[in-house]
Amino acid sequence: MNTTAEKNIILQVDRLKQYFPVKKDSIFKPKAYVKAVDDISFELFEGETLSIVGESGCGKSTTGRAILRLDEPTDGKVLYMGKNILTLNKKDMRKLRGDLQVIFQDPFASLNPRQMVKQILNEAMAIQNVVEKSKRKERMLELLGYVGLPPESLDRYPHEFSGGQRQRIGIARALAVNPKLIICDEAVSALDVSIQAQILNLLKKLQKQFKLTFLFISHDLSVVRHISDRVMVMYLGKVVEIAEKKEMFDSPLHPYTKALLSSIPVPDPTLKRDRVILKGDVPSPIDPPGGCRFHTRCPFAIEKCKQEEPPLRELVNNHFVSCHIAETLPV
Amino acid sequence: MLMFILRRILQTIPVIIGVTFVVFFIMQLVPGDPAVLLAGEGASKETIEAIREQLGLNQPLYIQYFEYLTNVFKGDLGVSLKNSQPVLDEILVRLPITIELAFFSIIITIVLGMAAGIISAVKPYSLTDVSVMLVALLGISLPSFWFGLMLMYFFSVKLQILPVAGWDSLLHVILPAITLGAGGAAIVARMTRSSMLEVIRQDYIRTARAKGLRERIIIYKHALRNALIPVITVVGLQFGALLGGTVLVESIFAINGLGRMIVDAIRMRDLPMVQGGVLFASLIFVVVNLFVDVFYRFFNKRIELN
Amino acid sequence: MKERNKPILEVKGLKTHFTTKRGVSKAVDGIDFTLHKGETLGIVGESGCGKSMTSLSILRLIPSPPGKIAGGSVLFKGRDLVTMPEDEMRKIRGNEISMIFQEPMTSLNPVIPVGEQIAEALRLHQKMGKKAAWDKSVEMLKMVGIPSPEKRAKQEPFQLSGGMRQRVMIAMALACTPEVLIADEPTTALDVTIQAQILELIKELQTKIGMGVIMITHDLGVVAETCDKVAVMYAGNIVEHASTEQIFADPKHPYTQGLLNSLPKIHEDQEELITIDGSVPSPYNMPAGCRFASRCPYAEDICAAHQPDLVSYSEDIKVRCWKYTDKWTGKRDKEGVV
Repeated sequence: MNTTAEKNIILQVDRLKQYFPVKKDSIFKPKAYVKAVDDISFELFEGETLSIVGESGCGKSTTGRAILRLDEPTDGKVLYMGKNILTLNKKDMRKLRGDLQVIFQDPFASLNPRQMVKQILNEAMAIQNVVEKSKRKERMLELLGYVGLPPESLDRYPHEFSGGQRQRIGIARALAVNPKLIICDEAVSALDVSIQAQILNLLKKLQKQFKLTFLFISHDLSVVRHISDRVMVMYLGKVVEIAEKKEMFDSPLHPYTKALLSSIPVPDPTLKRDRVILKGDVPSPIDPPGGCRFHTRCPFAIEKCKQEEPPLRELVNNHFVSCHIAETLPV
Repeated sequence: MLMFILRRILQTIPVIIGVTFVVFFIMQLVPGDPAVLLAGEGASKETIEAIREQLGLNQPLYIQYFEYLTNVFKGDLGVSLKNSQPVLDEILVRLPITIELAFFSIIITIVLGMAAGIISAVKPYSLTDVSVMLVALLGISLPSFWFGLMLMYFFSVKLQILPVAGWDSLLHVILPAITLGAGGAAIVARMTRSSMLEVIRQDYIRTARAKGLRERIIIYKHALRNALIPVITVVGLQFGALLGGTVLVESIFAINGLGRMIVDAIRMRDLPMVQGGVLFASLIFVVVNLFVDVFYRFFNKRIELN
Repeated sequence: MKERNKPILEVKGLKTHFTTKRGVSKAVDGIDFTLHKGETLGIVGESGCGKSMTSLSILRLIPSPPGKIAGGSVLFKGRDLVTMPEDEMRKIRGNEISMIFQEPMTSLNPVIPVGEQIAEALRLHQKMGKKAAWDKSVEMLKMVGIPSPEKRAKQEPFQLSGGMRQRVMIAMALACTPEVLIADEPTTALDVTIQAQILELIKELQTKIGMGVIMITHDLGVVAETCDKVAVMYAGNIVEHASTEQIFADPKHPYTQGLLNSLPKIHEDQEELITIDGSVPSPYNMPAGCRFASRCPYAEDICAAHQPDLVSYSEDIKVRCWKYTDKWTGKRDKEGVV
């Protein structure tokens, strides 16, 4: 991996906010919002894999959905090759969807059970009109080859496949329109480890082959470690840390990242670690704590953390962290 | 919770206005001119015109509607074209009878339906289950006029233990209430059964078993309360069907309730009477639905959060 | 390590079959293991390997029909649970052997306050009065680290977070101080930081109560951190059984090796993960020979023809593979790497 400075930015997310209104239980209370994503900025370089990690409710999936405009973001900009996606009209947006594809966690839920694989792939190509009708069949077989499915799969329905194979169909569908950027939303989370490994290898192979950029959303840190170039950690709708993978896993700066990394059970019984076990649960995103959102569970929090929201700052080269006291923390 | 009830009550206002709108305009589509009917066979054009003038039937429709609406809110539903009595008075006499009939019918629907559903669900695919569900299927498929007549034939004519028709004592209530409640009971039974079977598959029932609880406690304490949540909605919907059913049942058993009043009024083209009757029937439905919603919410507090 | 006295739980040749329209599915097909007091046994495997069905079979909680325990025995303190009358069995469930499940969201009754869900087991098994049972359930909630337990006890599950619900499940399972706790994927549905809390809690309470724990999981990390010994399951069989250190340091069975290899490593970089090709055979149509043969890189003729037994490789290692027998024709070496 080269240093990020020489690379082209393919996607830039600028102060993105995604608030969802909550049903009020009294007309006298002000309207409440779940601040699922609250003012986050980051960029994605061409050909890289950036992972977003965090626990449920941190806003990682919402971020992916907001970029694709599956939910309309509340505020902010999403620049794809310099163009703000969020202001595009329907027609231009549809055109752009060919460039931006998504692979979901549950391949079964995202494939129409009444369509055969050939219909699923054909539909994807027809919408973007990327391939002439006469050449589509050929293209379908080519796609199946890329994802490692036999040609006879074309005439089968999704339920005839195993979980891993269905995910391959999902990947083939995403590839059908020659995308540049694929958002993988927990794409391997539902799979058994041996199948997960196959899909991870496949994704890596395809990335090289087609120069794809991945935004990889996952809660599984060992998967993230394997597939990413850079990693972004989110907590309660905020970015807490962004760094190159190695840097992130070897020398995390934010106390939350540290706790998160030390919480992962490691399949090596000889490894005895000093584990940081966080107290309590993640606070509600409807009424997040003021100041640093992590201060309620942070073992190092000082008074300033309760008052002031820490900015995301570059502490080490290309390593950004939002913590007031990151420098002073024990390594 | 209070907030919810209040909001729910406010929500009924547009519904009621909508009902008056539909009631009013549907009656306009009914063929036959009330003025002609009222004037009687062979009346002169002038007489008909005069009646029309008197009733405001020559005004544009929307004016007629707004007049109707303001009158409704003042409690004036007009006078019957048949006997010139205020419609509201007539309705207030008939309404308690229909409410009484509906009340007993819905009790039968609930008690009979749930009991049958539970019995079936406890031992699915057993002989008991199959027989209960067969009876329930019959209950849904039998037309109520035929069922009512059969009941009348057996219990009143053959066995002579219950009165044939009329509305004097509690004994008179039994047959019409069964006739009216049976269909609903069958539907509730099927719903209770499938809901119970669904609940019994849930993880928390497995947890209850893993705790070492007896099957009886698992069914009645752990399964039933959860299974009844969707049944409440069905009972609410059944009440609507039941109101429609009163029209038939009251006619069969010669009960002077709201339903029969509406039928008679339709036959007589007694427009204000039909409007008033339908309006009240709709009101009852709206109120019952309000109760069902509040009840449902009470039973299922989780929806408060979502 | 743990004392080698008489085990509290001894599973011998346990078979659980499901009869459906498609035929007979041999979900659990001859399982043997033992559990001692204070010990943690991990049962690990991928979805459909039969690990959950094994745990449900021990307490006879498999849905029946279509499921049926088709053979074998489960000796709990010398008594066979498989043949025990149902009312005797009920006295053991939730009392002497308890279970916690994967989904804390769905495993608690949504309309009953959590305190009552704990108290009912106490009233039933410990013959406690209403008040005493309630007080004990509040105490249990406190023990599993739920803040303001008096208030929480009166709440219904939807008012609690996922982590707290799993704590309630643990409180419920441990209320009667069981001798065996079966934890079926207890942390799979939880976030990692919460998972760490829950695993820590189970370990702590295990030391306190001295119970034996069966940890059912697909997560090898969880196994490494919590278990003393491990049984690896594949397609209804145990394919390898050894101490945790042994399994991770030197896996014998090709499936165990493949499973460990396919894990992305958190502490090192790999360009490509090593995968196991193919997929698990259908439980309705198990091959005659070794069930892993079609995916095994070492498979020989004998593997496809005959199923190997689970045999002792050394005192502490049992493995179900022809490679470690004298029937094996290929190159063989003590380490199992050919």
